[in-house]
Amino acid sequence: MKNLGFLFAANLAIWGGIVFYVFTLMKRHRDLRRDLDLLKETLNKESSK
Amino acid sequence: MSSAEETDEQEIAEKSDEGPGLLLWLTAAGGIGMLAAVFIFVPTERTEGIVQRIMYFHVPCAWVAFFAFFIVFICSILFLWRREREWDIYAHASAEVGMLFCSLVLITGPIWAKPIWGIWWTWDPRLTLTLVLWLIYAAYLMLRLQTGEGSTRAKYSAIIGIVGALDIPLIHFSVLWWGSQHPSPKIITSEGIGTGIDNSMGITLLVSLGAFTLIYFLLVSLRVNIEKMKDEIDRLKKQRLYSH
Repeated sequence: MKNLGFLFAANLAIWGGIVFYVFTLMKRHRDLRRDLDLLKETLNKESSK
Repeated sequence: MSSAEETDEQEIAEKSDEGPGLLLWLTAAGGIGMLAAVFIFVPTERTEGIVQRIMYFHVPCAWVAFFAFFIVFICSILFLWRREREWDIYAHASAEVGMLFCSLVLITGPIWAKPIWGIWWTWDPRLTLTLVLWLIYAAYLMLRLQTGEGSTRAKYSAIIGIVGALDIPLIHFSVLWWGSQHPSPKIITSEGIGTGIDNSMGITLLVSLGAFTLIYFLLVSLRVNIEKMKDEIDRLKKQRLYSH
């Protein structure tokens, strides 16, 4: 099992990198969803006045 | 708000909420299959030992990065030709995902090189050109972050996207043209397809390539959704501004 640490490090970098990117995408999606809902609500209120 | 606009808005909201569905399940299945192939199915390589298994991640990362930048190249040409926002969105999404995988190539390469070559990095043509590719698309994404008129920014980004992709064939052929410490192609060689690699290793590599390609499509679809939501927000903001 020589060099097992290198294999572990490579896997950590790949899966850590992909998971981190997915989390940033999910956060951006959640924030935009909230903004979109808020904006729609405001527009609806304004149009009903 | 007109009924047509409301329908568009609902479609975007529904699409962004329903998630990737089938693609997500296919990617998960591909990922499990890949891990089983890499850690259970394929035997340990005789000369390099267990560290050689990095190849089943490093090579697919390189493939996805090149494929992503090739998509940027195609979408950028289509954007400059037709001036449709849709192509700009796909180019941007693909460039961002391509940068992720290009970064992973530049990280996993040295991790594999250290135990095999005895060094983390060398200014070899293939390695250097891959770093140049990373820098070109880093510039592309930095330009995207700049504020300013959308279509001008998209136009300059498209030019960088096209020029950057010209580095990809140079990277591929660098090992053949200039010699390199980096191994030469093993799948497609001058003697045919798959002749330079053992069957079980070839199958495992193909499974990994498939799984990483699915991850690419999943990430791009998520990124495209985000960009479309941003456009929708901008549209509604403008609509609100004009209604006052």
